[in-house]
This record gives sequence, structure tokens and C-alpha cells, in this order.
Amino acid sequence: MNLSTNSVTVRFGAVAALQNVNVKVASGERRAVIGPNGAGKTTLFDVITGQRRPTSGKVLIDDADVTGFTVWRRARLGLARTFQRSTLFANLTVAENLAIAIRSRLKVGSRIWPGRLEREVGAEVSSRLEMARLPALRHRLAWRLGHGERRIVEIELALARDPRLLLLDEPMAGLSGAEREAAVTRLRALPEAVTVILVEHDLDVVFAIAQRVSVLDHGVLIADGTPAEIRANRRVQEVYLGGAD
Amino acid sequence: MSRLRQLRPRRWLGQAAFLVFLLSVPAWAPNRFWINVASQALIFAIFAMSLDLLIGYAGMPSFGHAAFYAAGAYGGALWALHLSSALLPLLAVGLMAGASLALVGALALRARGIYFLMLTLAFAQVVWSVLSNNQLANVLGGDIGLISVPRPVLPFAADVSLFRPANFYFLTLTVAIIVYLALAAVVASPFGHTLEGIRENEGRMESLGYPTFRYRLAAFIIAGALAGLAGMLGGSFNFSATPATAFWTTSGLAMIAVIMGGSRSLVGPAAGAIVVVLLQLGLSSLPARGLAERWQLLLGVVFIAFVLFLPGGLYGLLRRRAA
Repeated sequence: MNLSTNSVTVRFGAVAALQNVNVKVASGERRAVIGPNGAGKTTLFDVITGQRRPTSGKVLIDDADVTGFTVWRRARLGLARTFQRSTLFANLTVAENLAIAIRSRLKVGSRIWPGRLEREVGAEVSSRLEMARLPALRHRLAWRLGHGERRIVEIELALARDPRLLLLDEPMAGLSGAEREAAVTRLRALPEAVTVILVEHDLDVVFAIAQRVSVLDHGVLIADGTPAEIRANRRVQEVYLGGAD
Repeated sequence: MSRLRQLRPRRWLGQAAFLVFLLSVPAWAPNRFWINVASQALIFAIFAMSLDLLIGYAGMPSFGHAAFYAAGAYGGALWALHLSSALLPLLAVGLMAGASLALVGALALRARGIYFLMLTLAFAQVVWSVLSNNQLANVLGGDIGLISVPRPVLPFAADVSLFRPANFYFLTLTVAIIVYLALAAVVASPFGHTLEGIRENEGRMESLGYPTFRYRLAAFIIAGALAGLAGMLGGSFNFSATPATAFWTTSGLAMIAVIMGGSRSLVGPAAGAIVVVLLQLGLSSLPARGLAERWQLLLGVVFIAFVLFLPGGLYGLLRRRAA
């Protein structure tokens, strides 16, 4: 699934959170979006997923204009995301959280009579918990999870939709070294067809995963290129990496 | 999990004992008055369970649920007065009347939280003012309402009179059990889990691909239909349908029942409804005249005590003790 934003601008009154942002992400590409705090990275995610309407500009998925689409309609096209802050269903168990995402993919969330598909949902929940090495957390309520566990379940929730375009908003924030390593391995193991866009402050993770990097500063796209090009970019070094010494 | 499995037989035993208790009410109730009180409590229990679907499961605290109860009461009364008093069509009319009005009231679904609460309250008050409008008295009976509503007639057993309190009690008990089982199936189904997800985090559900408005609408219509069913039974029980049934205090009492019983449990609100009916009766019959007239005030005090000391309601207390 490819994605592009055409001259996307988002204004909050006089403040421009994004200004004429043009990003093109090819199908199956691993793209990172970096920039200092307040650069507009999460706003860009919100525009792509439909959580925020752009003041002007367009969002295209697989070359089709989806700017007017609702959040759920874009999700049904194969778009999934994680959030900076945990958005798990706090009073549901980890298994119930995952089951909700799986049912959405199978389009069986409206059924009153569960039937055989519900057994399939249960089996898939088990296999996903195994894959994420979380089977012990199956019956734990989400609000009782530790921070790192919550972040990992958050990623699993997005993956449970078998997305074609996955947006990860600071997935490594607050993870321990081991958890970070496991998460990177998990993301690298995603099928090649899945397009991944990652907002992340940890540059080691960015350069370990991303094939291309886009850099935002004050809502403006200041650079776009391979990790090597971004490392060498003088402007990026000035505004993001703390100056080119 | 094994702990839960240990608790399950106790739960079934408790439910079976409660069923036996309900079935035996006409046998040990001292007189017809108390059988009627039990019928009234069961009708209110159906109403409270329908509200629990909205408050406890879908996270939509509605203050306008009385409108759907009134729709069922008036729909059933009009049908019975002008067309037929056969039971099954009457039950269907109650369901349809509540569901149809819920479709109109669904305008409130555009709002969330306190705004939703206020819009549903305003909607019910509009319904109340229409029902009490004396210019419509030739159809809806004005502020007196519709009176002399006949009791339903059972299919295949027309000689079993529902004017007898015990017979009407068994009818309400049967409907209450069916409503409970239906709602229990709904909340345990994928649809019920989807509603819980919407209650927990609607934005997240949308980003998972759920068209949440449709689910909230479906829950609103189901709850409205069941409230209409309770209203139809209430109209038959009282031989009348009055504008007071749509007044905000009816919604308020149902909300008190849900909170006192413990939301998100179905059984809790049903128990809460029984407690509210008994308290209403007990407090309004107090010998001290001034106190009896202010039974709502006393009910309010009891309600505050529940909120402060039993935040999970009666069901929460039982669950804590069982665990």
C-alpha cells in the first residue's frame, strides 16, 4: 500500500502545525519520520489516519484520494496505527483487547451469535500472544500492565488487523533495552508487503529499521532521503542533531 | 481462571435459588397487594436492565430513557384500546414503539458524555410535553393520559385471566427472564464486546475499523425497544398510560436503580430496581406525614449512601464477597 500527502497544511489559528508537507511512501517501504518535539510528526499521523482534517492538501492511499474518508473507513482499507499514549481498553483483558482488533479485521464485531468464527478468534489471540511472548498476560486487565508491556500490546493490537500500512508513533518510548530489542526484531520480521511509517526519537532504532527518513521541523519537511543522506544533511544536523561540529 | 471456574457453580446456584424465590412469590406473598408490588418491581427491572445496556456496556448514560418506556406504554394502550388485546402483538407493539422513538432520539448520539445526557433529557421532556398536551387529548388523552387499558389476553389460553395478580405476575416474570437471557446473550456476544470497546475508548475503536456510530445506534435502539416493552407491560399493569411515565424522574429512578444495583451486570440493575420499588413504597408509607411526602428526598439520601459506601452497587458487593 503506497501513501502520499499532497501539500498538506494544518493550522491551529495562526500557528501552522504542518506547512505544505509532501511525503511519498512506496508500497512495502520502511519510512521513519523524525524531528524535534512539536515538529508536527503526530499531527501528520493524525492527518494520514483521518483523526484530523487538513486545513488544505490531500492524502492519497494507493493513489486514491481518501482525504474525506472517516477514520474507520481508512482503517478498513488496511491502515493501522499505534499512539504515543496508551490507548488500550483499560478495563478489558489483554486477550479481549486483541480479540476486538481481530474481530474488526474479520468483520464479525457486530455478531450476536458468535458461531465458529469466535473459536478462530480465540485461537488467533493465543497464537499472537505466543508470538509476542505474552501468553502469561492473557487474562490481565490492560490497566494493570506495566508500561513496557502496554507498549508491546499496543503494537500487537495494531498488528492484529494485519495492516497493509502501519503507523507507529514512538513505539519504543519507555521500553527497557531487552524490550526494545524484542520490539525491533518483531517489526523487522513484518512481511515485506507491509508499509511501515515510524515516528521515533531513538535514532538507533530509526536507522535499524528505516529505509528512508523524512525530517520535520516546525511543521516543514526539511529533508527526505536514505539514512546515510539524512546523517550527512547539514540542516538536519543543525535543527535536530544539535549542530554540525 | 481456576478461581473463576470455582466461582461459576456458586453463581449458577445463586441464580437458580433466586429463580425459585421469584417463582414462589405468589405462594407466600401475604396478599394480592404484594404480588402486584412484585409485578411492578419486575417491570421496573426490565426497564433498568435495558438502561444498563446503555450505561454499563455502551458507556452512554441516558437521562431520557423514560421516553421509550412511555412510547411502549402509549403504543400498547392505543393498540389494546382500539385494535386488539392479544398478548403477542401487544408485546411486539411495545418493542416497536420503543425502537421507533429511539430512532428519532438517536439525534442525541452525535453528542458524547454530559452533552449526550442533557440531550436525552431534553428529548424525553419534549416527549412528555407532547403527551401532556391537551390539544392532543382526543388521541393521547392529554394530561390525564389513556385510561381503562385492558389487560392482554394470552394466546391459546384466553380463559387464563391476566386480571388475576398472580397470573400477571407470571407473565411479567416470563418476560423479565426472556429479556435478561437476551441481554446476557447480547453483552456476551462479539457485539457486546464491541460496545465495551466503544465505552472504553471510542477513538481507538474507530482506528481499529469500527464504525462506532452504527454500534451506538444499534445499542440505543435495542435499549429503547426493551424499555418500550417494559412500558407496554407497565401500561397494562396500571390499566393506563400517563404523561408522568415520560417525565425525567422516571429516567432518574431507573438510573438510581442501575447505580445502586451495580452497572455492567444486568442482575445488579434488576436487583436495584426491586430495591427502588420497595424503598419508594416503604418511604412513601412512613407514618410521619412530612417524611412520607418527601420520599424522594429520603431515596436521595439512600442513593448518596450507596454511592459513597458501595461504589460498585449491590452486585459489586456480592462479587467482592464471592472473590
